[in-house]
Parts: sequence; structure tokens; C-alpha cells
Amino acid sequence: MFDLLVGVLLVFAGGVAAIFFGNRAKGIIFFGFMTASQFFILPVTVGVLISGRDLSLPVYFSGPIGETFLRLDPLASLFALVVSAGSFLAALYSIGYMKAYRTGLSSYYFFLGLMSASMLLVVVVQNAIMFIVAWEVMSISSFFLVSFENGKEDVRKAGIYYFIAMQVGAAFLIAAFAWASSVSGSPDFNSFLSVLSGSGGVSVLLFVLLFIGFGTKAGFVPMHTWLPKAHPAAPTGVSALMSGVMIKTGIYGLARIILLTKNIDPMLAYGVLLISLITGISGVMNAIAQHDIKRLLAYHSIENIGIIGIGLGLGMLGLVYGNPLIAVLGFLGGLLHVVNHFTFKSVLFYGSGVVYSQTHTRNIDALGGLAKFLPLTSAMFLIASLAITGLPFFNGFISEFAIYLGLAKGFSVNALPLDIAGLLGFLGLAFIGAMALLCFTKVYGICFLGSPRSHYHGTPNEKEWTLLLPMGVLVVVMLTIGFVPLVAIELLKNVVGEFLPSGQSGIIDAVIPTYRALSISVAGFAGLFAFIFGLRALLLRGKRVETFKTWDCGYQVGSPRLQYTGSSFAQPFLSLVKELVPQKIEVEKEPVLFPEGASLETHSQDISERFIIRPALKWLDKFLDLFSWIQSGRMQQYIIYGLIFLVSLLVWIFGVR
Amino acid sequence: MMVQTFVTLLAVISPLFFIGLINKVKAIWAGRKGASLFQPYYDFMRLLGKGEVISTTTSFVFRVAPSLNVAAVLLALMVVPVPHFGSVIHFDGDFVLFAYALGLAKFLTVIAALDTGSSFEGMGASREVAFSTIVEPAFFVVIGSLALLTQHTSFDSIFASFSTTSRVTPLVTILLLVSLFIMLLAEGSRVPVDDPNTHLELTMIHEVMVLDYSGPDLAFIQYSAALKMTIISILIADLIVPASWTMIPALLLSAIIVGIVFASVGMVESLIARARISHIPQFLLVMTTLSLTAFAVVSFYFFGSIR
Repeated sequence: MFDLLVGVLLVFAGGVAAIFFGNRAKGIIFFGFMTASQFFILPVTVGVLISGRDLSLPVYFSGPIGETFLRLDPLASLFALVVSAGSFLAALYSIGYMKAYRTGLSSYYFFLGLMSASMLLVVVVQNAIMFIVAWEVMSISSFFLVSFENGKEDVRKAGIYYFIAMQVGAAFLIAAFAWASSVSGSPDFNSFLSVLSGSGGVSVLLFVLLFIGFGTKAGFVPMHTWLPKAHPAAPTGVSALMSGVMIKTGIYGLARIILLTKNIDPMLAYGVLLISLITGISGVMNAIAQHDIKRLLAYHSIENIGIIGIGLGLGMLGLVYGNPLIAVLGFLGGLLHVVNHFTFKSVLFYGSGVVYSQTHTRNIDALGGLAKFLPLTSAMFLIASLAITGLPFFNGFISEFAIYLGLAKGFSVNALPLDIAGLLGFLGLAFIGAMALLCFTKVYGICFLGSPRSHYHGTPNEKEWTLLLPMGVLVVVMLTIGFVPLVAIELLKNVVGEFLPSGQSGIIDAVIPTYRALSISVAGFAGLFAFIFGLRALLLRGKRVETFKTWDCGYQVGSPRLQYTGSSFAQPFLSLVKELVPQKIEVEKEPVLFPEGASLETHSQDISERFIIRPALKWLDKFLDLFSWIQSGRMQQYIIYGLIFLVSLLVWIFGVR
Repeated sequence: MMVQTFVTLLAVISPLFFIGLINKVKAIWAGRKGASLFQPYYDFMRLLGKGEVISTTTSFVFRVAPSLNVAAVLLALMVVPVPHFGSVIHFDGDFVLFAYALGLAKFLTVIAALDTGSSFEGMGASREVAFSTIVEPAFFVVIGSLALLTQHTSFDSIFASFSTTSRVTPLVTILLLVSLFIMLLAEGSRVPVDDPNTHLELTMIHEVMVLDYSGPDLAFIQYSAALKMTIISILIADLIVPASWTMIPALLLSAIIVGIVFASVGMVESLIARARISHIPQFLLVMTTLSLTAFAVVSFYFFGSIR
């Protein structure tokens, strides 16, 4: 446990140390510290995951916190592992990626270190006050990272939006923690157990408050609106860290309160499942309409948070109905998806960073043909696309499979609400899967395949190996989980076991034959492919294999600009769901016989932002307007406030006490 | 084991024959004599013997996609039980592997189409993925109603107990049968969703996506499309053939049912025209509606008063 603290300190120290070095060395120094921290963090977290034994360290603070302890249970270890691996890779990636920037690097590495260290602390502290402090440090340091390129108007706007969203979320958390502490008499998480597990309105309302607080960080609809703004604004290494790791601290919080809630209210379980379904569907549906690759990926994070939430909701339902197998499959699917989403979403962000650094555009419709210039990036991006779509035999499939199976198991429980939930889950997951397929065939097909849709300045290349290596590491993890899922299940066994009633943690062994069968199918599939591809090579041997330009049905003057774009690719689907993803289409045409120029612009709108967040803000604005007279701008009035304050203080001190 | 291998081989070999059957039925409706039932095999062999023309725009994706496609569809075949014989591999939740293996095949076909940079193929690809967002969820509702009715979670055990379960089985069978038939038309790119004959029209979906393929790769693609249709019709046979039947009658009846399904595809193709693109979603939503109805029927059976 002490090792972990040393690791956290090293991460933080790396950020401080980087300040004192020159621009080129900063990244390397920071990465050195991050590497050192891995030696302390990895063994202890993996050790806890495998052994299943908690580690804890008592700490004492003067002031309101008092005596408390840090604790590393399997759940915390899982997230600590993800956090530490994610920050490590982001540090490596930043070495290459930040070469393009000259100023602000000191603050970049300082806040990167601070954010990574605070994320590690968030998952180990067991005290509400310390938790809020770590949580806020995490939010504020990431705010500085989001607004790194603060010379740009839209980056500043995104940063402030993000900051406010985080504070609103934190406000809910503070309220909930304060309430729970006042009921239980102590800010320690363990004492919340009795409050959250008690029957009646208090526990439900507390859960809802906490869900809103953590859900804002995680990006559950409708609290997700900051993600598509903040992720594209941040430098790519940070986007990957935020999307792959930071939003998972929200999931960690949710998982933690599920652990602290015995006798879960069925309505809460159904509620989490329903909101997650809406989150998943709305996330991917909006993603399809995006033109900016990083914004698109940000919406996909929302989708995946939805999938994780479906898993957790299903797990809760398993507990509610006393069916440990469903609980195992739900929690296993949800928590494994946390790891999986970290791997493929980081690769996708890193890949988009390579694309951006080489082409200087994030507009999907301006890209194309990059597979020829960036073969390694393209191959890894393809694997990550297949994985995020949930296709066999990549890691996304492994976690989604568990959720599907858990939903299917629900049909045998003989409870109508659970059957309907199972039906909705099937419908939702399959719909999400099919839309993700659409979205990633679009991203990969339009950006990397075909011909370039615009002129690239200089030939895009991938000489910068620090950008490729993080992707390579993650791809290896993805393939391992995809091909040999039992490895992942072994690591998650104890985490899932924590959620089960004592004595039932052995149930997880029931899924092992299923996953073994999946591994065998992978082998079979690989064999079939090798056979068929070999057959093809054999058949083509000695035959004429010519290359010629794409056959365009006899139309000989084609240009790359005639290719389908991302917008046109998404159009048939978007026209089916135009009520859910309204698009503003602006067409400019010259009303002449031989028009020389024309333009078309499409902007999609997020309906939850338009119909929930904005009206809510407007309402809040009106309400707060009632108090605007307090801040009049007249100095005399402010002096009176001071006077009133002092007088009442005097009265309170001498009169009341 | 021997028999099982034989049946699997039969399923692997037969798809092109059934394509020949469709063409024969269409020829008869049109008053022609039509080509031999084995014509698709001759075409297949001829394509295998040819060289290829590969577009300069393409990358490695274009080259590996058809082979991966066939492998994925073959994998889907492995988890589908043949009546009486069961499936080659079966495990809890194998239907997810089935649906997602077909999804993998679709993903690869679509990006291979985009790899050519042709606007025609982009158009086909964009439609293919748009319509699959309707078919995919509906298929999971089909599975859901079967899982709820039989209380099992693997294709093999679902169909082993399907025919003997309850009073609502006949009704559910009919609803799901029509659903699966619609899925077959959509996945197999057949009228009214798509027309496999008009290669060069803007109304095309699947055929236009593979415009640039030639030689063995084209043969693979045509085979995997036929195999996909055969797999879905085996699922239809699973709904009808009682699990208690012995080997020979079960195999015969299944073959006849698959034959009837393909003949019906030919009939549909002869009798009605291809639907307008804008009407296809409505047609596909019929599948969703029917499968949801089946689910409702099963729920009523368990929780309502028709038991």
C-alpha cells in the first residue's frame, strides 16, 4: 500500500521536475518519473487483483478529516491499474505529440502529473472530504489541460464549459456526502453503508444525488454535454487520458456506491439500466452525425459509458433478484468494458492525433487514403475500430458478450419487469452495435481508405515512434483480451466477487467454459481464414493480377472529390432518425445554368442539450436574476453589506454563544 | 460425429445449388426454361480459375476482406444447429457470436467498398449499414422471444426444446418464420430490399458494393452471400422441424424447407418489384413488429391468462 503512495508522489514529482528542464527534455523527464512510478504501482495493484486481499493504510490529518485510511481493494486496484497505465501511455505519447508546441509546456506537464496523481488518489481514499479534495484537484487540473491552447476562442469556451459542468457535478456530490455524513455521523465511506442500505426515501434520494454527481463526470445523458466540447479542445494525449481514464472515475464512484448499498431498491437498478440504454443509443447516434473526428470519438465515449452502465445496471438487477449468475455477468461485462474502452478509445484518440499532426485537420470529410501514408497507424486504428464496434474476436466483444448473456439469463428468472428490461437491453445493445458499425466503417473507411479528399501539405508520415508505441502496447492488450478472455476474467474475478453476497463468489467459474469456447472459436476462425486466404493465393498463382484504377461505371473523368464523404455516408441513416438527431442543412447554390461554386453545410444538434440542458440553464438564469440586485456595482451598497456582516457577526459571537 | 461432419459439409456445399434453384424458379415464372440448377457451381469454378483486376486506390483491406468474409460466415454456420444434428460448436450465448460474426462480415464488406474510393460503392455501403441498424435489433428480439419461451440461452438447446414447449408455439413459429424470412431477404440482398440482377443501377445496395471485385475474390463474395441465406433458412427449418424426429426424416424435411424458402425468394422476386429505397425501412420494420409481437405473445403466455 505504501508503494502506491510512493508511486503517486513520483507521478506528481514528475510534473514538478519537468518545470525545471528545457522544452525538449520536459517530456522525457516526465516520462522517466512515470516509468519509475509504474514499478511501484503495477505490482501492488496486480497483486491485489490476483490475491483478492485488501490493503489499507491508516492516515491521520489534523482538522475535519481526522483519522482515516487509504484502502486498495480489488475494485480500486482495477481502476488504479487503468489510471496508471493510461497516464503512463499519455506521458509517452506526449513526448512526440507536444513537440509541435513551444509554450505552456511547463504547465502542461505539471497539470498532467497533478491530474494523474489525483486520479490515483480518488480511487483509494475512503473518506468523503478527502475524496472531494482529490476529485476537485482532478477536475481543476484537467480544466487547465483542456484549455491548454487557450489562445483559441473555442478552446477557452470549451474549457469554461467543462469547468462549470464539473463544478455542478461536484456540487451534487458534496451535497450527497454532506447529507450522508450528517446522518451517519462520520465522513468515512464505510459509515455510509448503513445510510445507503437503509430502506426508504433517504437511501434512494442519496443514490440519485450521487448518480447525478458521478454521472456528470462519466458522461451519462443528459449530463454528457461537456464531453463533445472538452475532448476535441484538449491536446490529443489529454483527450485520450480524459476519455479513456478520467471519465471512468465517475464509473468508479458509481461502482463504489453500488458496493456500499446492500438491498438495492429495484427502481434504482432499472433506472440505471434505462438511463444507460438512453446514454448508449444517444451517444452513438450523435456520433454518426459528427464531422470532427475527435468530437465523434467523444460521443463514442458516451456510448461506451452507456454500455458500461448497462452492465452495472444488469449486475444490480442480478443482486435485486438474488441471481448471482446475472450479477456476475453484468458486473463482469461492465467492468471489463471499463478496461476495454480504455484500450480502444485511447488507440483511437492516439490514432486521430497522428492524423491531426500530419494533416492538420480533424475534419473527416477532408481526409482519405491515409492507409497508404500511415500503414501502422491505419492497421491499429482498424483493430481498435473493430474492437469498439464489439465485433469478434476483439476485446469489445468479450465484454458485450457477457452483458448479452446476462440479459438472456434474465429471461429465465420469471419476472415480467426483468423480461422487459432484457428485451429493451437486447434491442438497445443490438441497435448500438449496428450504429457503431455504421460509425466506424465511416471513420475508418473515409479517413484511411479511398483517395485523399483534400490536398495534404507535405506527405503524411509516421516517423515519430513515441506516437506509435502507446498504440502498439494497447493493441497487444486488446488482442490478448480478445483471443484469450480467460486472462481478463482471472484478473477481474476478485473485483466481481466483491459485488456478490459472501459465499457466492465462486459463481464466476460458471462463465469459464463459455469463454473457453469463444477462444476455441477464435482459433477456428483464424484457421478458416488462413485456409481461405491461402486458397486464394494458390488460385492466383501464375494468373494475371492487374492493377487498374477503380471502375467507375464508365465515367472516366472522376476525381477524388467525387468520392462519398462521411456526411454522405451517414445521410441515409440520419434521414431515418432526423427527429432524434436534427440537422441544420445550409445549401448555397448559384441559380444559373452552369454553376461554378456551390456549398453545403450540415450541423447536427444534440437534442438533450437543446431540450434539457439549455432550458434548464435558462430557467436557472431567470431564477438567479431575482438576486441580481445584490450585486449592483455601487460601492456604498457593498460597504453596507460589510457592515451588516460585521454587526451580525458581533451579535452572533456575543449574543448567541 | 461422422454424420455431423457430413451434414456440415452438406451445408457448406449446398448454398450455390439453392441459388440455382432461385434462378430456376424465376425462369419458370418468366416462361423460360432457365439454366441448370448447377449453373452457379460452373460460374463459381470459372471465377476461381480467373485472374484479378485490383484497383490502384485500394489497400490491403480490399484484398483480405473477401476471405475474412467467408471465414466469418462459415463461423456463423458452425453455431447454427441443423435439426436433429445440432450445431458444431455450442455454448451459452452462442447466438451473440452468430449475429456478431455476420456483423464482422458486413464491416469488412463495407470498408472494402469504401477502399475503392468509388462513389457508387460508397452509396451502396452507406445504405447497407443504414438498413442493418433495423435488422440487427429485430434479430435480437427474435432471439429474445425464443430464449424467453424455451428458457435456454444457446441456439442448440433453444431449438432442441422449442417445438415441444407450449400452446403458443405455433403462433410464435409463424411470427418468427416471417421475421426470419424478411431478414433473409435483407441479408441476402434480395427483392424487395435489393435486386441482385441490376448491377449498374443507383438503386443497388449489396451488388454495387462489390463492383470492383473479380476472379476468386468475387467467387468468395457470391458464395458467402449464398451461404448467409442458407444459414438463415436453416434457422427457419429449426423452427419447424420437431426436435423429436429421427435422423433421416429430419434431414429430409429440413432440406425441403430450405428448398421451399429459396423457391419463395424466387417467387417473391418474380412477382413483386424492388421497393423504393425510402420504403425499405418500413418493410424492414415489419420484421421488428412481428418479432416484438412474438415476444409479447410469449410474455402473455407466461404472465397473462392464456396459459
